[in-house]
Amino acid sequence: MARYQAGDFAAAKALIEQVSPRLLRFFLAQRAGRADADDLLQETWLRIHKVRHTYRPGESVMPWFFAIARHIRLDHYRRVLRTRARDERLGEMLQELPPVGGAHDSADVEALEALLAPLNPTQREVLEMLKIAGMSLEEVARATSSSVGSVKQKVHRAYQILRRTLNAPGLKKDPGRGLP
Amino acid sequence: MNDPEINELLAKAALDPPKVDPALLERVADSIAPSLKPVRPLPPKWVLTGGLVLICASVAGAGAARAGFGGVEALTPLERVLIFATLATLVLAASQKLVGEAIPGSPQRLTPSALVSVSCALLIGVFLLLFRDYRTEHFVSAGLVCLATGVLHAIPIGLLGWLLLRRAYAVNPVAAGLVGGILAGLGGVTMLELHCTNFQALHVLIWHTAVVPVSGLAGALAGWAVSRRRARAPR
Repeated sequence: MARYQAGDFAAAKALIEQVSPRLLRFFLAQRAGRADADDLLQETWLRIHKVRHTYRPGESVMPWFFAIARHIRLDHYRRVLRTRARDERLGEMLQELPPVGGAHDSADVEALEALLAPLNPTQREVLEMLKIAGMSLEEVARATSSSVGSVKQKVHRAYQILRRTLNAPGLKKDPGRGLP
Repeated sequence: MNDPEINELLAKAALDPPKVDPALLERVADSIAPSLKPVRPLPPKWVLTGGLVLICASVAGAGAARAGFGGVEALTPLERVLIFATLATLVLAASQKLVGEAIPGSPQRLTPSALVSVSCALLIGVFLLLFRDYRTEHFVSAGLVCLATGVLHAIPIGLLGWLLLRRAYAVNPVAAGLVGGILAGLGGVTMLELHCTNFQALHVLIWHTAVVPVSGLAGALAGWAVSRRRARAPR
């Protein structure tokens, strides 16, 4: 990241290749369609490039990336919200939005989406960052502009919902629901 | 199903990240290449925080120097210590919070709404403790003058703060605006405590404290305007 800030194109390219899959999975896990997720990824990189000087060397880089990606996604849904239903709340919109664009190209992504489906957008977001992107509680708190306590609470509630859903009759024999 | 089993499912799902279209990666790299110049990272957070505290103190001090230090001169030493120590603590906390809001991925220990609540509660607590004169002479007219004076001093603090943080990037402009407004409002209250000689409890409690939420609201509105402009900007 420091080399990217210094104007090294090779470093920028390597960073784009390394971080993009994680950002793409973040967008896909938030129930964005593949085409939308690609757009969001591109928009995120343009924003990251514009504000790259705000990253301070020595600090954890993933919360910085995810904080920007998260707000690009929120801005995107606000735009959609304005054009589709001005009187609906954002949270409901995020939950109800059907995937737009092409089908997912990966069974893993679909399985992940199915697994996280019972959760609300904030729980899904926190669980995705913590358990799938592999960030620490402190990093997730930084990325989501919240406290560690709040992140712990969201994870706790998400696990309660997942336990309830996955223990429901009919799912017990196939808890993975299509996971590889 | 227990937590380790859920963890296992999540880990399984996370095993292979989705493939990103190489053409998309190429497109992203190509789009940033022409503007890829060395950039100077933001100064350390303590420098920015110190700058904001200095702006607050300077504007409040300059305002009181122009209007007179009658307020602070009429206070007892204990009252001075309690009031200005509380204001200094709140200004420091608001400055740190504003710097956090202006740099993506910064730790957040206090929400903006909690900051405004804590600021108002602490100020009200200190004022309640110190001022026992419950007369209400010229309550509205004197109060409006103090509110306007406080807010007028908050404006330059907000503008100078914005100038100091102009290279930063607030992912949530409304929250950043609210916190900036609270900080500016605290600067306005500091000026009033240095200058105002009206120690009627209700005057200080209501009109001086009101500078904080009023400035915070103005800051949030400014942040909302920035966020609207960003949303309308071509993608």
